[in-house]
Amino acid sequence: MTKKTLLSLLACLCLLPALLLGGCGSTDGSGSGSGGATVLGSGSKKLRIVSGSENKELEPILSDYANQNHLSIEMTYMGSLDIMRALEQDDFPYDAVWPASSIWLNAGDENLHRVKHAESISITPVVFGIKKSKAESLGFVGKDVMVSDILEKISGGELKFCMTSATQSNSGASAYIGFLYALSGHPDVLTSADLDDRTMQENMRGLLSGVDRSSGSSDWLKDMFLAGDYDAMVNYECLMISANNELVKEGKEPLYIVYPSDGLALADSPLGYIDHGDSDTEQRFLDFQNYLLSAECQSKIQRTGRRSGYTGINPENKDVFNTDWGCQPDRVLSTFKMPDTATLAKALTLYQTALRKPSLSIYCIDYSGSMSGEGNERLVEAMQQLLIQENAQKNYLQASPDDVNILIAFSDWIQDEFRAEGNGKELDALFEDVQNEGIGGGTNMYLALDQALSDLSEYDLSRYTAAIILMTDGVSADYYDDFKKAYEQSGCTVPVFSILYGDADDSQLQQLAQLTNGRVFDGRKDLTEAFRKVKGYN
Amino acid sequence: MKHSKSILAGLILVAAVIALTIGYTAFSTSTRVTTLSGYAGGEKIGFLEDPETTELLQKKYHLKLDYSKAGSLDMVTADQTGRDFLWPSSQTALEYYKQAVGKPVKSEIIFNTPIVLYTRKAVCDALMKKGIVSTDGTVYRIDMKQLAALISSGTSWADIGLTQLYGNITVGTTDPTKSNSGNMFAGILANTLAGGIANEQNIDDVLPELQDIFSRLGYMESSSSDIFDQFLRTGMGAKPLIAGYESQLLEFAAENPDIWSQISGDVIMLYPTPTAWSSHVFIATDEAAVPAIEALQDRDLQKLAWEKHGFRTGVSGAAADTGAFTGINLAANVDSVVPLPDYPTMAKIIAALRNNS
Repeated sequence: MTKKTLLSLLACLCLLPALLLGGCGSTDGSGSGSGGATVLGSGSKKLRIVSGSENKELEPILSDYANQNHLSIEMTYMGSLDIMRALEQDDFPYDAVWPASSIWLNAGDENLHRVKHAESISITPVVFGIKKSKAESLGFVGKDVMVSDILEKISGGELKFCMTSATQSNSGASAYIGFLYALSGHPDVLTSADLDDRTMQENMRGLLSGVDRSSGSSDWLKDMFLAGDYDAMVNYECLMISANNELVKEGKEPLYIVYPSDGLALADSPLGYIDHGDSDTEQRFLDFQNYLLSAECQSKIQRTGRRSGYTGINPENKDVFNTDWGCQPDRVLSTFKMPDTATLAKALTLYQTALRKPSLSIYCIDYSGSMSGEGNERLVEAMQQLLIQENAQKNYLQASPDDVNILIAFSDWIQDEFRAEGNGKELDALFEDVQNEGIGGGTNMYLALDQALSDLSEYDLSRYTAAIILMTDGVSADYYDDFKKAYEQSGCTVPVFSILYGDADDSQLQQLAQLTNGRVFDGRKDLTEAFRKVKGYN
Repeated sequence: MKHSKSILAGLILVAAVIALTIGYTAFSTSTRVTTLSGYAGGEKIGFLEDPETTELLQKKYHLKLDYSKAGSLDMVTADQTGRDFLWPSSQTALEYYKQAVGKPVKSEIIFNTPIVLYTRKAVCDALMKKGIVSTDGTVYRIDMKQLAALISSGTSWADIGLTQLYGNITVGTTDPTKSNSGNMFAGILANTLAGGIANEQNIDDVLPELQDIFSRLGYMESSSSDIFDQFLRTGMGAKPLIAGYESQLLEFAAENPDIWSQISGDVIMLYPTPTAWSSHVFIATDEAAVPAIEALQDRDLQKLAWEKHGFRTGVSGAAADTGAFTGINLAANVDSVVPLPDYPTMAKIIAALRNNS
């Protein structure tokens, strides 16, 4: 396999795009904004860690350790793709790295060989979670279920589910590879030839058309699931347990966890040290890692629904893995074989360009006066990364032939609307339009959102993963109530993903996120990065 | 009066500082530690990080070994700017170095450890029932020829009675084109299939089956220490049977006696018939690293390497003493050791496996 193949593979999976601004409904923009770190403890000695955002759930444990040892633990949450890329740079301003899977650690460190002392901190499998009553009616409770049994129900229209994007998130990729095995008749190892099979491709396309909602992040998929009304999702066992705790607290029906008997994928959460030649920091890291691996701390980590330790789950923690929810704490976690990297890369390209449910993306872009100059330059740069396909390819964000991209240029009126259906020259033309659009006037994002709703009504939304991607740099006069009414009347459940820029009002965007089960992304430090992440959700 | 007293005190202080500075400079020059930078295979990190190792190297030999982890074959082609040494885990890597870079300033075998397979009790029992694994009550041996046949025929774990495991029987190894343990396992398999020592003449007959076996493995780890760690942590489902070094379990048991006492009944070490020695050869790529070769052969260091890190040394005689380890199916003498194929043959194997996918 060539280095290029590997690199393109590496450029494809991003576990949990972080650097995001809060979650749905969150109005707290501090601490987790682009480039910012969450600081745990207040000691003068620092430990700077780049981590997958799934480790947010471990913050109370980390915080206690930091306080007891007079440390400041700086957690910078990034997706694994970003972690991998950061590892490839000469300048890596962190002491430690903690992605969800060792694949990203090995890949990012392939050339510089800087990671030391890497140890798996916990283990969690990727599983299906299905509303218990639904799981019962489908006959999935209390027996061995194969991926193909689940796929049959999805194909038959009896089950819809949410999963993360296979090219953006580890849990989505893991599920997708599992599907490929099932649809290819369970080969020993998935090969390039298996992927070329037309019948398999057709079946997979049918299957992925049953995806209700997508996401670029496993953690956010869980939040979205909780805020919406869905039947099933594919996610980590620990996030299913966390979701169920929430559901039960709210008096709602929990999810029943299904472990496909034809193989699981495991996330092994490795924590490694990056040597900058400071032995004090190295010792600090080792002490911290030893603590995480101590019997005492491993037990605490198990309380968060993660499996850990050499001897399985401790008796005192078995209750966390509630068997009424289908949890099988003593199950032998038998895995399917990840294909070699070249095949994996091919599988992901196939997903992105041909098999996934087509995207319907409506970009509502602010061309008000304040965007002139730097704002507009940043915007053009960002859109160039998404629309020009050779750029998009680097992040596995290519369009498929059935994708629809719409640009609504707004200020205090709808200036223009452009449409690109397909993944050829029309996208280049759309990029031209992005560049040529005039700038001036005030800001009224609600007008653009209304227009987006009317555009959406022209499409059969069951055929698309649809999203409104709103970028604004100013405060709009408050027409939220009018938009809310229109949105609710439309009956559509398309999310608004907003990108905060310039002087935009975070609370206005959070309102939209809450209403539409969407999310706010902070583009103030790096607009291109924000657009890239948003696109990963759609 | 008071004023001149404080001037005097000040002068004394300055003199004291100067004296201390001169003294310290003289002291630090006499014990100045030379830091050598290089690449080492992951399986030796425990030894390199051991405070007793670093202290002995520093105090007795005034050396500090600063390393980056790299696969034995990868390190040969990695950027060697500013690196003084390579410490791979096989002679093959040394031969590869001679081909790719040239003759090293000096090289020497520091430790030896045999390639073994690791598994869980349930898997071991199933393989014993099939007559593939045998035991004299202490040491377990696995017949490579029968194992290869089992893999090639596409036998599933369920077929040998392990219904809790999904998929077909395979051995998890590191990538044979990058890392030594996987590479050596490929060499052992080639020997097995060739019915002796594979060579340039008979290797072509063996390659198709070898490629077939490796094509069934899918994604392969690049580091021996990573795959061993995952074997222990992810349990029987993810890694039912892996290839590694004997030293890895010995080191783990020595470093984690409490954990080992809890899992020793379940983790089984199998000696392949035939197997091969992994020879940890230290390659000095410049003059500065030459003294490290003598230092690493220090009697005390070699004893430490065996007792705490499981490397057989053959210098101190400590290697025969298995009493240092409890609860491990450790062989006092490793027999059925066959030399690996020579470098040109191994190069053919590596090339064939590189083009496998």
